[in-house]
Amino acid sequence: METKQKVTSKNLILKILIHLFLLSLVGFIFLPMLWLILNSLKTNNELFANSLALPEVWQFHNYVIAWSKGLFAYFKNSVIVSAIALSFILLFSSFFAYGLTRFKLKGSNLIFFVVLGGMALSEQVALVPLYKILQTLHLYNTYLALILPYIAFRIPFTAFLLRSYFISIPKELEEAAVIDGYNSLQIFTKIIVPISKPVLSSCAIVNLNFVWNEFLFANVFLESKSIMTIPIGLMSFKGDMKADYTVMLAGIAVASIPLIALFICMQKQFVRGLTAGAVKG
Amino acid sequence: MKKKKLTPYLYVLPGLLMVLSFVYIPVVANFFYSFFRLSSYSVDKKFVGFDNFVRLFTNEAFPIMIRNNLYYCIISLIVQVGFGTFVALMLESKLTGRLRNFYRNVYFIPALISLSAVGLLFTFVYSPDLGLINNFLESIGLEQYTQVWLGDSKLAIFCIIAMSQWQFTGYITLLMVVAIQSVSTDYLEAAKIDGAGPIRTAVNIIIPLAKEQLLVCSIITIIGAFKVFTEVYSTTSGGPGKSSQVLGTYLYQNAFLHDDMGMAAATGVLIFIITVTVSIIQIKVTKSGEV
Amino acid sequence: MKKDLFKKFLVMVLVICTIVATTGCASKKTDENNTTSTEPTTAAQNTSTEKKEIKFFHRFPDEPFNSFIESKIAEYETAHPDIDIVVTSAQNDPYKEKIKVVVGTDDCPDVFFSWPGEFSERFIREDLVMDLKPYLDADQEWKDSLLATQLAEYTTSDGMVYGIPFRLDGKMFFYNKDIFEEQGLSIPATWDEFIAVCDKLQEAGITPIAYGNQDQWPSAHYIGTLNQMLVSDEVRAKDYEATTGEFTDPGYEKALTYYQQLIPYFSQGTNGLTHDMVRTSFSQGQAGMIYVELVEIPYIKQENPELNYGMFNFPTVEGAGDPTILTGSPEGFVVSSKTKYPEECVEFLKWFLGPEVGAEQAQTIGWFNGSVGIDKAVTDDYLKEAYNVIANATKMGPWFDASLYSTVCNEYLTEVSSLTNGDITTAEAMAKIQKVAKEAQTIAATDK
Repeated sequence: METKQKVTSKNLILKILIHLFLLSLVGFIFLPMLWLILNSLKTNNELFANSLALPEVWQFHNYVIAWSKGLFAYFKNSVIVSAIALSFILLFSSFFAYGLTRFKLKGSNLIFFVVLGGMALSEQVALVPLYKILQTLHLYNTYLALILPYIAFRIPFTAFLLRSYFISIPKELEEAAVIDGYNSLQIFTKIIVPISKPVLSSCAIVNLNFVWNEFLFANVFLESKSIMTIPIGLMSFKGDMKADYTVMLAGIAVASIPLIALFICMQKQFVRGLTAGAVKG
Repeated sequence: MKKKKLTPYLYVLPGLLMVLSFVYIPVVANFFYSFFRLSSYSVDKKFVGFDNFVRLFTNEAFPIMIRNNLYYCIISLIVQVGFGTFVALMLESKLTGRLRNFYRNVYFIPALISLSAVGLLFTFVYSPDLGLINNFLESIGLEQYTQVWLGDSKLAIFCIIAMSQWQFTGYITLLMVVAIQSVSTDYLEAAKIDGAGPIRTAVNIIIPLAKEQLLVCSIITIIGAFKVFTEVYSTTSGGPGKSSQVLGTYLYQNAFLHDDMGMAAATGVLIFIITVTVSIIQIKVTKSGEV
Repeated sequence: MKKDLFKKFLVMVLVICTIVATTGCASKKTDENNTTSTEPTTAAQNTSTEKKEIKFFHRFPDEPFNSFIESKIAEYETAHPDIDIVVTSAQNDPYKEKIKVVVGTDDCPDVFFSWPGEFSERFIREDLVMDLKPYLDADQEWKDSLLATQLAEYTTSDGMVYGIPFRLDGKMFFYNKDIFEEQGLSIPATWDEFIAVCDKLQEAGITPIAYGNQDQWPSAHYIGTLNQMLVSDEVRAKDYEATTGEFTDPGYEKALTYYQQLIPYFSQGTNGLTHDMVRTSFSQGQAGMIYVELVEIPYIKQENPELNYGMFNFPTVEGAGDPTILTGSPEGFVVSSKTKYPEECVEFLKWFLGPEVGAEQAQTIGWFNGSVGIDKAVTDDYLKEAYNVIANATKMGPWFDASLYSTVCNEYLTEVSSLTNGDITTAEAMAKIQKVAKEAQTIAATDK
């Protein structure tokens, strides 16, 4: 009896300590974000006076200014680029993984290795030639200048993930379908895709996170303000001689909301998909 | 018959072509460029042999960049992989209860913010005048500890590294949580019956079983540390002096500030060699790639 | 059997791809309204619009400047229905990168912003910029309406005029009159007086000089000005040229030494502050002096309309150089040598950078273009003073960071940044700069 009580009280203390520790980490994560939101609702003078003080009047219109100062356009561009790139990343990658796992292809090992090898090649290494290539193709400063490289650079990882998941799908399911007279595309759309929804949704979030936030290519391959995506658009809030700091902070907040909201809504599927496919970066 | 043979290739083809034309061709071209002197607005290029590499390796900034990338790598391994795994183990222990998903999700949030937004935010957080850190230190009476942070040659790179840890530790934690969850409960039951405490269970059972994921996380972190660009570009651009210069910013500045695309390509080759070597080690070590 | 279906699907994918591709291109076309009708498809699209398209690329996306530029361009388009001016813009640093990228291609804008000096001259060496001298010679009235000292900045050593000023500029010390009065200080003319003023302010607990060097270019203005006074014109001209640059003259190190003397008087944590942050603190009366550009007067007015300030020249330092030079140079527009409509571009610039728009520009946004006598329209006393400072300057000293070869400039600025933090000595800094200058010699020689 006595020893058991000791154990539980020891456990309780441990529990409290762990929670305190984990909560302090939560505070550590939230602190910069709260500071950001607090100061995005101030005037510049208040920010300069004391960044920890509350504003006299909450400046909600900083958000309106940020939105009308170009954020809306950047948002639109990001949505267009992300939607198109993401669709094709998922389409091409799942086709690719399907083709490799469901058919006996000559040289399939080589093909897989070549595409997988793409994972080891970083964006920096391709930057200069890609930029020259896009210029030659007259794609520099268009949406396609981002979309095409995004697709290409995300296929290896996505295909790798989907392949390992597709392999685990039992062949019997398809055999039944073949008997039903399904062709290969119907098998793909009616059997493989529905079964793979969790892993596909994880792939979608991971890739969306990449595409939505990508900076290097967007910074180099785009020139016009009118087609900039959010990550570089934000940088242009930092004026040449003058920056409207509080408005810029509001812009950062707005730019970060969509993915965070999406993650909170989808976190269950996301984690489930991660477990299913063991997503690696 | 022929038709039938062709179909599977049609599935594979779009992906393969994309990767070949927008990943492989540029990377190969990059090797080619690294032997030339070429600028962005001039049409002619001159063959210069290994000159770009010689200039890269003898550059005064070279040891600084390598050092900074290594700092990035080592600190990220310790904090993101080491500490991140520790947090993951804590979250998956029996002691955290229902709040564990809340913690896990909160820790992951910074990874969803764009690098440039985080960079901009932290230039404020670190600002000596109006920044969160200095204002905070002043408000609790620790003025003597205020720093110039990003403006201090010795601190700048560590400030940027710290920012990255803030952003990505939760990411690794999540990946490790997933790996730990996939450890079969049978093992855990067995350990419990053996009377193993939580720490012993973690060290003896969970870590060995999640070894592969741990390795993958390490590789991601190492490669990430040598590719780092936006974090530095959006905060210090490599300053003060050259103190926070990394390979990524050096490549960028050569290509688009100094019009020295050959030099940029040479830097790219170096990044290529480092990241590919690390990847090969990964394949060798895991062996479970089962290609 | 049902392979057809699959094929159909693939065809669909391809169709989607091409749609995406064409809309992508189309969006580019509408965005930029490319004059490069080399592609037959776009030529077909453009048949309905017979307008002459002039692409215009500037670096003033901040408000109210951007709106002013766009409203003037709209005005011009209304007056000239056959002209369609397509405007794009980028911030300072991105602009430098972007323009280098497009200038050599068919996408090159017809009229674009370019700094005088080396920044433009490297384009001239590649024959990418049009000579405006014939047009100026043909129109004497136009030529006379522009300030000769400012136009001289856009003239090469062999007489080619390649740009017309849009905004005049000069670097001056601004001081807070109230603080100076309180402390019983007067405007310093010499270096010793300047240091005495700084000491006095510091004793009173006021930051003597507001200075933020996080972005590194602010230091270039100090160094550039000191070099002008300490190194003779001929030596500087030789060193600033990439193929002959050595920076071995002792004047350069002396300039760094003078700069070093100021470090204790700068804002705390200089390298962690940006220029606009410290300007805000100056505007709010938290510092005694600041070295600023005259084009910043409108910003100061925005930050604190009540600020009571005055201006004075950089204190004189004895040396081999010329202390009368005003640091700063006009910034303006050049015409691409690839333009299809050279006449139209010049006509547009005559008006856009002429006295009529200039007077309005000075009054509404507080920036002067290169026209003579436009201060008459201005009501603000600070602006009037600024115009007179520039118009009366006998000689301009181009921005140091724009005059140097980019690797040398980069090295110079990073070393000054390290010097500001006390990480290196002036001798070490000069040794490193000399080394990079030597490397630049060989690189620049390869390029020629």
